[in-house]
Amino acid sequence: MKKNAKIWLSLAVLFVGIFFTLITYFSTAFASKPIAVITDRQITDTLVDKTKDNYENKDEVRQQNLHLKILSGKYKGKTFLVTNTYSPSQAVSQKYRPHQRVIVSFIKGKPKLVEPKRDWVVVLSMFLTISVIVLITGKQASLLLISMILNSIIFYFVIKSDVKENGTRIFLIYSIAAILFTFISLVIVQGFNQKMLVTLTATLLGVFVSFGIFYLVMRVTHERGIDYEAVDYATQDPRALFLSQTILGVLGAVMDEATDIVSSLYALAKHKSELTFKELFISGRTLGQEIMGPLINVLVLIFMAEALPMTILYLRDNNTLVYTFKYTLSLGVIQSLSSAIGIVLTVIFATLSSAVFLKNKKAEVVEK
Amino acid sequence: MTTLTALLLILLILMIIVGGKTGFKSYLSVVINACLLILVALLISWGVNIVLVGVIFIPLKLLTIIYLGTHDYTVAKNAFLTALCVSLIVMLIIILFENLAQTQGFGDQAGEELIGLSLNVGISFSQIAILVAIFSMLGAIAEASVAMSAGLLELKRHDPNITQEQLIRSGNEVGADVLGTAMNTILFGLFGSFLPIFIWYVRLNYSLFEILNDKLFVDEFLIIVYSFIGVLLTVPLTIIFLAHTLTNKENKK
Repeated sequence: MKKNAKIWLSLAVLFVGIFFTLITYFSTAFASKPIAVITDRQITDTLVDKTKDNYENKDEVRQQNLHLKILSGKYKGKTFLVTNTYSPSQAVSQKYRPHQRVIVSFIKGKPKLVEPKRDWVVVLSMFLTISVIVLITGKQASLLLISMILNSIIFYFVIKSDVKENGTRIFLIYSIAAILFTFISLVIVQGFNQKMLVTLTATLLGVFVSFGIFYLVMRVTHERGIDYEAVDYATQDPRALFLSQTILGVLGAVMDEATDIVSSLYALAKHKSELTFKELFISGRTLGQEIMGPLINVLVLIFMAEALPMTILYLRDNNTLVYTFKYTLSLGVIQSLSSAIGIVLTVIFATLSSAVFLKNKKAEVVEK
Repeated sequence: MTTLTALLLILLILMIIVGGKTGFKSYLSVVINACLLILVALLISWGVNIVLVGVIFIPLKLLTIIYLGTHDYTVAKNAFLTALCVSLIVMLIIILFENLAQTQGFGDQAGEELIGLSLNVGISFSQIAILVAIFSMLGAIAEASVAMSAGLLELKRHDPNITQEQLIRSGNEVGADVLGTAMNTILFGLFGSFLPIFIWYVRLNYSLFEILNDKLFVDEFLIIVYSFIGVLLTVPLTIIFLAHTLTNKENKK
């Protein structure tokens, strides 16, 4: 695709995105709960109380008096005066802004603020991303988008079957899911060929062998130090949930790495006609060494950063570091570690599976 | 022995077997990175200014991921500069969207976990949310920029007379590969980390409208968006940086 075409297409996506964002922002048709708009130009905001908790943390309790005009539902068109209590740290409370659109619920004919309307931000950010994808990758954009959409659809069905089985049979469900995710992502990006099959083998070996090791270690150490109470938002057996999370987490990174190593070794085998197994092995290992560290860090950051607000809250409430670590971070760390083991093992699996490319060459030589 | 210690030991042994000295350095970089995050939590809980913590720890984390994780100095230097630039750009996007979406703090779903904790602790959870978003994407950006720089410098080494135009063209090819796989890492990493909350939505029959407005969903969606944009921007910026430094070197000769 030419540079200008890319820029125009990306701008077009952005404009379509802004259009949809505006529709989502103003529309009330898709809402399953009543929507209201804050009509005040300036919200009166008064200090109710200065608080100090048992741990000497100083904060305030403030009250906002807001005028709400209801835009949809039974009370459409009516205006109400409501109060909102919040604290400036906003851990669970919310400070509202002038002219903001909000979701409300009615209790005995009186409106109660639920939360700010956020769907339009999702739409806007989604189109912004697509527009950047188009701008930078051009033609490849459609492949990337299809791969992401298909994977999200599979993810939806995985969750559906997880809920249906009520958190049992997770090994079966998530193993099939891992195979499907890998197969689809690789077929879309690489097409169905030998290179792709080699990558697929390396990825699946990496995921299942490392998960096997992880599970074995868990059993051997009697799961000492794993506190399943700390699994967040558990609506089913937390142990099963934790294991499923671990399988999914390791999958992406292992696939990433296997693709990098196999593609490079494939190119090398094609380029150099008298490549020996030893040379191939050394190249694979060198590549692996280079990628391993940063890749493990990606997962450490994803799994640990998410727990940061809770960690800070625990520490702020005078809990010891050991106690806080146990309840907020330890599970994330264990997950990153099992993924890390997968990432390291994949270096070996990807290199060994790439040995197939050498056999190809011998066959070719014989034919000649 | 706890499961955690056993895993730590196994990882150390495996990394030394597979990676040798580089493997050991990478292991250190992972451990240091995890410790830095805990240090960040401690500092903020002690009341240190959150913006200041960000200014110090964002470059520091990039340094530890990139310099300790790779053994080629040129790769590391280029990757670091690119990653720092990308982080600054994405940071602006993060601040904008976090302001629009207001997803700070904890969702309604966290109710049970918050029992017994004092919630009015006098630190801004909006600022913490921005810091969390930045940290979540740093790893992905660092990884992509290392992969890009390493790939392009390898090309230059095999063919020292490569022209800038050829370098840019090959750079785009390498970029396409890096992007495809880096996006999968982000997507599945987050699928894994947010699996419980998605199961929650399905079990409690959330409507699409409720999900799209839910604090936790929007928060997670935005983190994916930031990481994607960061990784995407890494590709052209690496090419620009490398083309610039390589031509500069030639001029000096």
